[in-house]
Amino acid sequence: MDWLSRQFSTRVIVLIPIAIAINIVLGATVQQALKLPVYLDSIGTILVGVLAGPIAGLITGVLANLIWGYLLPAPIGTTTIGPFAITAGVIGLLAGIWGQLGLFRPRRQAAGRSIAGAIVAAVLVIGLAFYTYSRAYASATDFQNNTGFDPTVIDQSRVFFLLIMFAFVALISWALVLRRDVGAVYAIGAGLVTGIAAALVSAPIAAVVFGGVTGSGTDLVVAAFRAAGDSLIASTLKQGLLSDPLDKMITSFVVFLIVGNLSTRVVARFPNGDKLVQLDEPAPELPAASSPLPPH
Amino acid sequence: MTSEAPADDRHGIPAFVVRVPAGPYRSLNPVTKLVIALSEVILAFAIGSWSGPILVLAVVLGCAAIAGILRPLWVIAAVTLPVVVSILLVNTFLYPGAKDPIITVGPFAPTWTGLAFGVQVTIRLLAASLALAVAYLTTRTDDLLTELERRGLGRRSTFLIGAATETVPRTITRAGEIVDSQRARGLDTEGSWWKRARGVLPLAGPVVFGALTEVEERTMALESRAFSAPGRRTMIRHLPDSGVQRWFRRALIAVLGLIVIGRVLGALGWVP
Amino acid sequence: MSLTLTAVGYRYVGTSRPALAGIDLTLAPGEVVGVVGANEAGKSTLCLVAAGLAPATIGGRLDGAVTVDGLPTAQAHPYELAQRCGVLFQNPVTQLSGTAPTVWEEVAFGPRNLALPLTEVVGRVDDALAALAIAELAERDPARLSGGQAQLVALASVLALRPAYLILDEPTSQLDPQGTRLVGEALSRLVAGGGTGVLLTEHKTDLLWGLAGRVVVLDGGRAALSGAAHAVLADDRLAAWGVEPPGRVRLARTAEAAGVALPELAA
Repeated sequence: MDWLSRQFSTRVIVLIPIAIAINIVLGATVQQALKLPVYLDSIGTILVGVLAGPIAGLITGVLANLIWGYLLPAPIGTTTIGPFAITAGVIGLLAGIWGQLGLFRPRRQAAGRSIAGAIVAAVLVIGLAFYTYSRAYASATDFQNNTGFDPTVIDQSRVFFLLIMFAFVALISWALVLRRDVGAVYAIGAGLVTGIAAALVSAPIAAVVFGGVTGSGTDLVVAAFRAAGDSLIASTLKQGLLSDPLDKMITSFVVFLIVGNLSTRVVARFPNGDKLVQLDEPAPELPAASSPLPPH
Repeated sequence: MTSEAPADDRHGIPAFVVRVPAGPYRSLNPVTKLVIALSEVILAFAIGSWSGPILVLAVVLGCAAIAGILRPLWVIAAVTLPVVVSILLVNTFLYPGAKDPIITVGPFAPTWTGLAFGVQVTIRLLAASLALAVAYLTTRTDDLLTELERRGLGRRSTFLIGAATETVPRTITRAGEIVDSQRARGLDTEGSWWKRARGVLPLAGPVVFGALTEVEERTMALESRAFSAPGRRTMIRHLPDSGVQRWFRRALIAVLGLIVIGRVLGALGWVP
Repeated sequence: MSLTLTAVGYRYVGTSRPALAGIDLTLAPGEVVGVVGANEAGKSTLCLVAAGLAPATIGGRLDGAVTVDGLPTAQAHPYELAQRCGVLFQNPVTQLSGTAPTVWEEVAFGPRNLALPLTEVVGRVDDALAALAIAELAERDPARLSGGQAQLVALASVLALRPAYLILDEPTSQLDPQGTRLVGEALSRLVAGGGTGVLLTEHKTDLLWGLAGRVVVLDGGRAALSGAAHAVLADDRLAAWGVEPPGRVRLARTAEAAGVALPELAA
């Protein structure tokens, strides 16, 4: 990881451990204290990705899970989380790409153009979700071949697709009422896509390492799909496509709120700073970022 | 087996900084213990359906017995209990396509195939988890990082990992304090789903923003201590290593490489 | 040879309002200059600019010139500046690397970063601990020190880089009375040792009365008054700039109002 970390400024090097702590603290403590059915264990990863780019996000995700799994004492550290380092890395990588595309930028004074952009983005996300769900919730063999046209299969995919869409639209509406900021549409949409990707990556890991379960409440859902005759990997995927997009939409929105509430002065110093500051403010002068290697 | 650094090699470094780990297994070089642990994880997944995981688990428990850490190891194993129970139940009762029921009671038909698969996954999971746990329990993070830095890991990576392992417990303590103080101020952690959801913000806010304000202060403090100077840092600690350990590591990696290559070729169908 | 600020103005990234404007200041080796002012008057910004952290580390726009022994900070690398100009901030916890298991290794962090020879690292660590009389803390875990002790370790960590100048940004403001006394005594000893130029911002003007040769009053990012420490700290306008005069000055004034002259208190 040396050639990776060498390109980071000292600020990013300092941010990553703190973000890992945020992941674990909000992931473990909040779940224990508040007993909510969302994980919220990737706020730090997505935050680093958005602020500092895909590579920093990837490192944060991978390290967070490895440390959480193997370097913390038993009550907090749970070895079962370690293998999902790959998923966490993908989440951080994607967040970095979304950050560089400017999807987490506040867009308070929404012009017609950005409203139109948000609608286009939402339609794209919904289209992608529809495609994924209609394929994934086809029966186990159909997911690989995608040839069958069994009406009961289609029903299952519709139900789950509509469930996620309901959450997506509800969250966006709530965000728009709460913040009056079109930017939330982009952030929540990015979260939905991240969640789908996370589910696709997690399913084979859960299947190979854990025989399809993870020891959490969601195992009941996995068991239900198994009972209906799905294969190991299909049932974990179906479970993941229910909980991951939900969790990542909420997480992305939380990160969007955090970035929006940080002062311009702080945000502008990070590598993605110029893509996160609202455009109608004067463009920040780029920091003479303390580059890790001196010019000689 | 281990070669001690000569006493006059210390250049006046105090003994409490030298800190040579003592005791069976613990005194092995951290890199040796890391290589052993990673090999065990790979072997547990790469060799056979039963032989690999059982062999690895036996080796792991043997190492743990030598190091005298069986007791803390049980604690770590106990944490994986929910997963183990889940694995056994789901697979025994719901293994797709299995047609050899142990007993049929109404709609429930646990199968031997499912049980066997569940036990196998459990052993493999325990072998891999405990392999890493043995390395963790017998090695200080600081010792491992010292050795990795001596072998070429840069100061930035070293700091990143060191700071992360240090920051997490501290932040957890602080979050615990915040939860307690929010509870004292009437945060509802027991009420309805919606009430609890609203409780997340007063909790997450202080943790996240407190941590982020630290980033600026820590960045400046590091820079004012020449963190971004060029070249490699001075190494002040030297952990014992030996020729035997070096050859053992090389041999282990070579054997592992052959096994993995064999498995890949086998999977590709080039080897019967 | 000096730390010199010439017509210095500074703006943070993303802000259009200058945090500092028209500052001229010279700090010679062995000299102690105090900086006072209300909150947001620009004290911390002045520290960052004088140390070169602004703009080298935090960006922003610097007008005028800041030079450390002839080296302009705007072009220097942070690690070059660190060897010339050490900085101590308010919060002891965030200044420690957080990765060292003992105080000795914490103090060695800076010299190790410079890749100095091993014997040189050992010498510098032992000297820095001795200069602050905290050699007995060497074996302790930095995470388990009191606030005052941790602040001294942070100071020792900076001293180990052997800077010619020290910038201290309210080093006692987050400490309890005991920690304040501990750090105050160590600073007095350090200053008495001579050689190091010290720029010290402090709202506890009593500490400055004993330490500083000159004092600068900041108001709205500009130098409102500058001169010999005792004259500035006894100035009538101090309260109007949001600075509480030292206890002895207030006592002398109270005594004067009551018709008792105590001139030796305020001189």
